[in-house]
Amino acid sequence: MTTQPPIDLDAILAEVRARVRQKRESGLYGSDLDAALTLPLPGGRPIFSEELKDPFLALPEVLDEDVAYDSKSRKRYVGPVITLARRALIGLLRWWLAAVTERQERINQLVARALFDLRDRPTPGLEKRLRKLELWHEDFVAANLHSVYFQARFGGDEPVIRRQSEAFADLFAGRKRVVDLGCGRGIFLGLMRDKGVGAYGVDLDPRMVAQCAERGLECVEADALGHLRSLPDRAIDGIYARHIAEHVLPGELVSMLREARRVLTPGAPLIFVTPNVATLTVGAHSFWLDPSHVRPIPPELFRFYLEVEGFVDVDVRTFEPSEQRLSDKVSDAAVRENVKLLNETLFGDRDYAVIGRAPA
Amino acid sequence: MTAVHQFHPVLAPGDAMSNHVFALRDRLRSWGYESDAYAVDAKPGVAGEVLSYRRLFRMVKPEDTLILHFSMGNEVFDQLIKIPSRRVLVYHNITPPEFFSGINDHAAAFARLGLRQLEQIAPAFDLAIGVSAFNRQDLDDMGFRKTAHVPILIDWKLYDTAPDPAVLARWSVFGRKLLFVGRVSPNKRHDDLLRMFAYYRAAIDREAQLLLVGSYRDHREYYARLRELQRALGLETAVTFTGGVSLSELCAYYREADTFVSLSEHEGFGVPLLEAMRFDLPVVAYDAAAVGETVDGAAVLLHERDLAQAAEASALVSEDAALRAKLTAAGRRRVADFDTEKVAQRTREVLGL
Repeated sequence: MTTQPPIDLDAILAEVRARVRQKRESGLYGSDLDAALTLPLPGGRPIFSEELKDPFLALPEVLDEDVAYDSKSRKRYVGPVITLARRALIGLLRWWLAAVTERQERINQLVARALFDLRDRPTPGLEKRLRKLELWHEDFVAANLHSVYFQARFGGDEPVIRRQSEAFADLFAGRKRVVDLGCGRGIFLGLMRDKGVGAYGVDLDPRMVAQCAERGLECVEADALGHLRSLPDRAIDGIYARHIAEHVLPGELVSMLREARRVLTPGAPLIFVTPNVATLTVGAHSFWLDPSHVRPIPPELFRFYLEVEGFVDVDVRTFEPSEQRLSDKVSDAAVRENVKLLNETLFGDRDYAVIGRAPA
Repeated sequence: MTAVHQFHPVLAPGDAMSNHVFALRDRLRSWGYESDAYAVDAKPGVAGEVLSYRRLFRMVKPEDTLILHFSMGNEVFDQLIKIPSRRVLVYHNITPPEFFSGINDHAAAFARLGLRQLEQIAPAFDLAIGVSAFNRQDLDDMGFRKTAHVPILIDWKLYDTAPDPAVLARWSVFGRKLLFVGRVSPNKRHDDLLRMFAYYRAAIDREAQLLLVGSYRDHREYYARLRELQRALGLETAVTFTGGVSLSELCAYYREADTFVSLSEHEGFGVPLLEAMRFDLPVVAYDAAAVGETVDGAAVLLHERDLAQAAEASALVSEDAALRAKLTAAGRRRVADFDTEKVAQRTREVLGL
């Protein structure tokens, strides 16, 4: 048997203390961390505290206490007589007292039990109300819609989507791990593969994930925000998200951008494509063709979101001009200007992309 | 043939208590005794191996031995001590009620009842065994006539189970991982593990992960409040509560982790500390109850309750290769002290079988 050098605990603890001290001095271990290390457990009474003032803590103790009565009198001369009298009285009353005590104990137990049970039980009807809320959400996003038929009638054509996506492909040139959030059938992923860019998709719909798999494309079944949250810091070097921003609530979008900033490597591009609601025929009409659209996002607002979340080189590009237009072939210059303005407002570009880069 | 039967109110798959009962039963059978495990409540997964305690009243003969395992109060003990036979108590400790006050009043009331019952039934036992010296001390204090210390019987072969590939695959992509294994219960201080880990992420390694393996069935309020604390500390993606896991999953978590860290304030024995050593993990543990005795120098034992120090110690043992090697070697030697065969022999001697 080989003898091992013993473990010098004192030396280890000295080293540990030195490290803590050093972090104190460097400012890494400041008041923020002090606050974290002493943050109380939220959501109720403090734990491990001797709070006997709290009836719920004190009650079980009291119920458990034994009541002792010393019947012996220590008075001189009369003491034994008093003791005898007391004992005789207790003897006479014993059966009656025992019955009363027993009943009282049973009452105590029942009351305590009922109190504790009530405390642990959620508010009556909570389940029902939660379910109602869930149903409301399903109604809100039209979860019961026949999505296959919907896709067939209103879904975009593959060549059109591919052409749109191509405009952004160069931004991802040379990247190794790009994620397409809401990748659908994997049109963008196919494009990335053709260009030699490493990319994978994320989609909520298992049928879409299956379609991607059939085409040999990597795709994960998850929601976009949940997936971003599951990634370690700086795990990916590009994000493409076509038509998902309008499907989520504003707070979720902000969380998504915040997570995106965390998981992207410095300088990595991020592109969100969404309907251009600045065009009235889009904002007032076609945007609402999809019942799962939650909220239109004006380009100025989206630009603001990216800037305020710390992305750099933020740019907005509109594309997909409307097919309908008012003719501006009129001789009167003033009328022509008006027609142009009307065309821009009514029949402007249908989509826009907001582009940014993760900061260094 | 004389029989040696065992009883514990609840037997469940995966918990150290029940594993001990089953391992001992197998040994008793191999020594030629008739032996079974009895319970009031057998959880799914072990129901086929457990008999109802009611049969004990018919089965046990005066020359038999009845081993009652005690870790919680139960009215059945009052009846079982009336069975004429040799009676042995194995004490696995009761978590003191203070740990549950303010968070689980049912558990606190049960702990209080248990302590009281233990004192009441003490005279009925010919022998009381503590699974640690710490537990034995409790038994002496409570007035048991004859006491002994025999460690818990751990069937080490169980840990040769192939680790779950899904767990391995999921966690292999992450960087440093800290692990704690144990029921989510206030005495194990998962809340301090979270606070400690907030320091770890901020001051040591921004990408580290904390894995908390163990069922949160018994203390739901504590668990809910822990999740809230996790959010408040910004650790949503940094800490994972796995809930109860299978043996192969457990093995995978031990395989994947870099350091085992325990801030528990009450352990009657602390099987996971030894399990971690079995998987060559360096162990950092706060010195409380039976913890110091169980690790016996094979871990970095913290005497001060300082969470920053706990975090730095956890980092140090995974960074310093020489220290890590020393700790894992010491850990292996410590595990060998609890060799199944050795402990079984000692149990046999103490029981006089």
